[in-house]
Amino acid sequence: MNPLVEHHLQLTRRNFLGRYGTGLGAAALAGLLEKNGLRGSEPVRMGLPALPGLPHLTPRAKRVVYLFQNGAPTHVDLFDYKPRLQQLHGKPLPEEYLGTKRFSTMTGKADGKLLLAPVEPFRQHGQSGAWVSNFLPHTAAIADELCFIKGLHTDAVNHAPGISLMLSGAQIPGRPTLGAWLSYGLGCETESLPAFVVLTSVSKGTSCGQIFYDFYWGSGFLPSRYQGVKFRGGGEPVLYLNDPAGLSRSTRRAMLDDLAQLNEIRFREEGDPEISTRISQYEMAFRMQTSVPELADLSREPQSVLDLYGPGVREQGSFAYNCLMARRLIERGVRCVQVMHAGWDQHNSLTTELYNQCRDTDQPSVALVTDLKQRGLLEDTLVIWGGEFGRTPFIQGSLDDRKHWGRDHYPYAFTSWMAGGGVKPGLTFGETDDLAMNVVRDPVHVHDFQATILHLLGIQHDRLTYRFQGRDFRLTDISGEVVRAILA
Amino acid sequence: MVMAIVLAAGTGCGTLRSEEEVAFSREILPILSENCFSCHGPDEKSRKAGLRLDIQEEALGAGKSGKKAIVPKKSEQSEVVRRLLTRDPDEIMPPSKSGHVLTETQIGLLRKWIDRGAVWGKHWAFEVPKRPEFPSGVESGQNPIDVWIAFRLGHQHLQFAPEAPRATLIRRVSLDLNGLPPTERELRDFLHDEDPGAYEKLVNRLLASPRFGERMAWDWLDAARYADSNGYQGDSERTMWPWRDWVVSAFNSNLRFDQFTIWQLAGDLLPLATPEQRLATGFLRNHMINGEGGRIPEENRIDYLFDQTETVATVWLGATFNCTRCHDHKYDPYTQRDYFSLLACFNQTVVDGSGGNPQTRPTLSVPSPEQLRHLGEAEAKLMAVVQAIETFEDSKFSRDSGTSIEAAPAAQHLAREILDDLKVAPRDRDGARFDRLASFWKATDPSHSRLLQECRITRSERDALSSSIPKVMVMEDLPTRRPTYILGRGSYLKPGAEVGMALPASLVSRPAPSISNRLDLARWLVSRDNPLTARVIVNRYWQSLFGVGLVKTAEDFGVQGEKPVNPELLDWLASEFIDSGWDVKHLLRLMVTSKAYRQSSKVSPEMVERDPENRLLARGARFRLPSWMIRDASLAAAGLLTELSGGPSVRPYQPSGVWEEATFGNKRYEQDHGASLYRRSLFVFWRRIVGPTLFFDVAGRQTCSVRTPRTNVPLHALLTLNDPGYLEAARALAQSVLTARMVDDRTRLEAAFLRVIGRVPTPEEQGILLRGLQRHRHDFAETPASAAQFVAVGESPSSNSLNCVEHAAWTVLCSTILNLDEALTRE
Repeated sequence: MNPLVEHHLQLTRRNFLGRYGTGLGAAALAGLLEKNGLRGSEPVRMGLPALPGLPHLTPRAKRVVYLFQNGAPTHVDLFDYKPRLQQLHGKPLPEEYLGTKRFSTMTGKADGKLLLAPVEPFRQHGQSGAWVSNFLPHTAAIADELCFIKGLHTDAVNHAPGISLMLSGAQIPGRPTLGAWLSYGLGCETESLPAFVVLTSVSKGTSCGQIFYDFYWGSGFLPSRYQGVKFRGGGEPVLYLNDPAGLSRSTRRAMLDDLAQLNEIRFREEGDPEISTRISQYEMAFRMQTSVPELADLSREPQSVLDLYGPGVREQGSFAYNCLMARRLIERGVRCVQVMHAGWDQHNSLTTELYNQCRDTDQPSVALVTDLKQRGLLEDTLVIWGGEFGRTPFIQGSLDDRKHWGRDHYPYAFTSWMAGGGVKPGLTFGETDDLAMNVVRDPVHVHDFQATILHLLGIQHDRLTYRFQGRDFRLTDISGEVVRAILA
Repeated sequence: MVMAIVLAAGTGCGTLRSEEEVAFSREILPILSENCFSCHGPDEKSRKAGLRLDIQEEALGAGKSGKKAIVPKKSEQSEVVRRLLTRDPDEIMPPSKSGHVLTETQIGLLRKWIDRGAVWGKHWAFEVPKRPEFPSGVESGQNPIDVWIAFRLGHQHLQFAPEAPRATLIRRVSLDLNGLPPTERELRDFLHDEDPGAYEKLVNRLLASPRFGERMAWDWLDAARYADSNGYQGDSERTMWPWRDWVVSAFNSNLRFDQFTIWQLAGDLLPLATPEQRLATGFLRNHMINGEGGRIPEENRIDYLFDQTETVATVWLGATFNCTRCHDHKYDPYTQRDYFSLLACFNQTVVDGSGGNPQTRPTLSVPSPEQLRHLGEAEAKLMAVVQAIETFEDSKFSRDSGTSIEAAPAAQHLAREILDDLKVAPRDRDGARFDRLASFWKATDPSHSRLLQECRITRSERDALSSSIPKVMVMEDLPTRRPTYILGRGSYLKPGAEVGMALPASLVSRPAPSISNRLDLARWLVSRDNPLTARVIVNRYWQSLFGVGLVKTAEDFGVQGEKPVNPELLDWLASEFIDSGWDVKHLLRLMVTSKAYRQSSKVSPEMVERDPENRLLARGARFRLPSWMIRDASLAAAGLLTELSGGPSVRPYQPSGVWEEATFGNKRYEQDHGASLYRRSLFVFWRRIVGPTLFFDVAGRQTCSVRTPRTNVPLHALLTLNDPGYLEAARALAQSVLTARMVDDRTRLEAAFLRVIGRVPTPEEQGILLRGLQRHRHDFAETPASAAQFVAVGESPSSNSLNCVEHAAWTVLCSTILNLDEALTRE
């Protein structure tokens, strides 16, 4: 985007926010935008406005919930059913499947690559006949709502670079992430909550969780107001949200009134528009002190809804709680919710911890889709489920030691699913070979996946760019094709 | 002393480039770069039709099609112009799918340029800066900076704003140079100093203060991606802080910037390198270390080299070298070969990339004088005990005769194990051997048995002391040359052609000087032949004092970076910096004593509209302070700040569970107590994967950063309103005005306001604050228990004599003052 327009827009946003805090309403904003020639096709809304000219296309989805599964769920055991793996169980991987692939140092030598059958049986489900493992009975039950993408592949073999690529389009940390791009491009409808919220969890009893680095929701070189705000899994959801002990709400209000008045005087004196922005930001902070606790107050959720999400739903910081929170956030106008769950790194725990992972995530993920559908929100909400890569169809560990069976990182093929906003339900798209090693039909690279997500939100991925270090950067870096076959 | 212009000095100055060349660099090159270079530029792989427009010979020659892209003086015969103007969608340039469109003005400029002969020039930043000649009519004694600023202002029919009020000025310059507001006394002294050189005296005092190095170090630490842990999974703690302290001392002693550079990049390679010079090379080792299980060491090693190469390119050259890791640069004349030729300088490291040891060799032990003394004492004690044991054993087994111990008569009936133990020199015996021998002698010679136990304890004391000495990772090269290859798409698995060490070809004149190690590289970086370093560095100092650099894109001086708003000023400053002997304090003194710097920051709506970012400097810069400085300033105003400088990093207040949540409980935050809570922010422990929560808009300290964002969001307000550290500052400030001998509320209010803002409140402001105070008093009087709870914040002692309702009401008042826009801002 032209830096001048961006600057102008910032001024406008600032003016708006500044005035709004001290009483000037939306009507005045409309006038302001008009005066600056910035009144685009998009109607004037509350909250953070979209960039002019956005969305580029008619959006199929207005918001996104990304249920990100850190650690790389095993596509071989959960979604990508291969009967031949059963037949060749314990046999060495045929050389021709290997090519020039590289693996992490934890993978054994070539002759040590013994194939491992899926731990649990698979069945076909619903009208669509999608294959889903017995590990995921809830997911299986709504298979007709989901669009499975089985030909995903990525460039990274380690977690942090892999997750970074999936969420920001580059392996090296420091690029803006999907949610940051969305709030930058599309703005947000709420002025009491951030546009991009992140929630994290890990299964109980997981031996090895992947760290949640803040660059997974960073805004990179975009202004930092677009970065994800991570709600914490315990205590105050937002740092420093609570007033200090002993300070009443009315005293706080009185103090902020004084502060606003004094800053107004300074604004009169100095003329710096940044001062009026400051006034409005203090006001929004005050509103967040109310809106965030209200958000977290589940007392008015009917029991039937709570039951849908399962037993962990009341436990702050659990995946179930976070899925419910995701629904409550998007209901309140948040643009992007990134729910991250760690612990999918089954190097030696396919027969043990994988059960916990599925127990903790299967029901809540499905509950979110169901809950959204019941409320009519699924039509224009895109739900995405998946991790950063797949896992090897061959074993890590010893065949004799079933208790420690594992699979190593595998970037060449893995599965994710999407549901809702503009995606064909009940579709299985793409295919791997008979050992789930190589994509043989309809491959989808990470950048294609991202281009598709942006497309669903009405954004042409090569047009949402930001000038940094002399280059126009975008989420999809220098590639990306929209996967049209999955669009509804 | 302020640098003044000597009007007679006309000779010796470089001449400006011809108007035509300037026009090319300023007007034509940006159009070509923006719209054409991605297909017709330096990157060979993406080049279309074999045409490149970034090089004169190629652009003027015939392309594959046989048509000449540019025919000088004949725009109508130039293929470029035809393709810009055609209506044929298959022929039009730039192609519509590129998203680029040239305006009519731009096409007009191109045609005019071609018709006037298509004179080529170099990108401005790749020409060695020459000290520009001053325009005519300059007043004698004027600060040269003001000459150039006034020159630009004149073009716009603008002039300098009046000087800022003195109180504003001292707060501004104290924050800029020391990162702290003036004390009441400093303020009073300055306000009453009638010496015409009072301001210059003030500046000199600030430059000489030890606080100066602490303030300047912050920005350098951001660029150097300094942190107290490795980053990545595990995120082990490292001990690089002696390097951080060295940076502070280097600024304070005003180490010349060229030496500052050479020491950090190649101190180890200097002849007779001192420990200090080796310590400085910690700069290059500040990168993250990935200890994730399963990482391939070579991949790590290459990642570290990427980081070193790109950091050096950004910090000294303002070059976006990360682009050239995978391919030739799209816009700048940097090639992938340049990248790996520079990387070759760092590729000689002995580091092999394995493991996640936060003290991966080579390291330098940096004991404090105290540690050194203790270690000497422990060593002496150990020697004495060892000697006593040896004497005993020698006499017992006649060991000094040179015969084996088995031959000694006294050893005849000893068990094999005991014999083996005795054969090991006492200094080298492990715990088990000591225990066995001690129990062996226990019955027959209890005093010797005790001696053995003592030796064991003494040795472990010595070991503990020695391992408590911080080890800083430093640089050291392999004895033999390690070959460097161009890596295909930056992948360590795709080595291509071998390259030697070389400087970026486009930055050196032919024949290119050859380099054979990091030291040669470092010396070239600070040589007069390098067009970039001086400009890049003075620009960053300008940025820290004026809020925005003369080149806004401080990290990119390439073709796509911003052109300097005042190129003559930038070049003059760069030349002056070099000519002064790379004297940082001299450079800063020049800047802060300029009229441009000393202007009032008040602005009219018209000027906001006309120059929203204040690039012309028709007013003083006004910007929100870096968050670390806001914290330091609050602690200082409250009288809590500890002046202790350096040493291991400290852990102030932090909401519980932040580290634990980020690391699945692997890292527990153990908050410090006492003076450590009030140390300057520079010394706060920086965990790389989850930075300190008490800052905002700070560099990530993961990779190099030379420009930090400045945003204005509600989360910042929540921090300064609710963080216990800020509340404690408010509480302490309240306490100090309440316990001072003052007559009434107004006097107290004035004192508190003065400490934070550096001026007394106006009657209107006083009215608001005092009415607020009354209301807070009233509120707390109804709930005295809440008041007591409220003023219990923080660990610094509270005065028992204070009425807690009164104290609470004043604490709210002080918190209001600390949150004023004016408190958070440097005006």
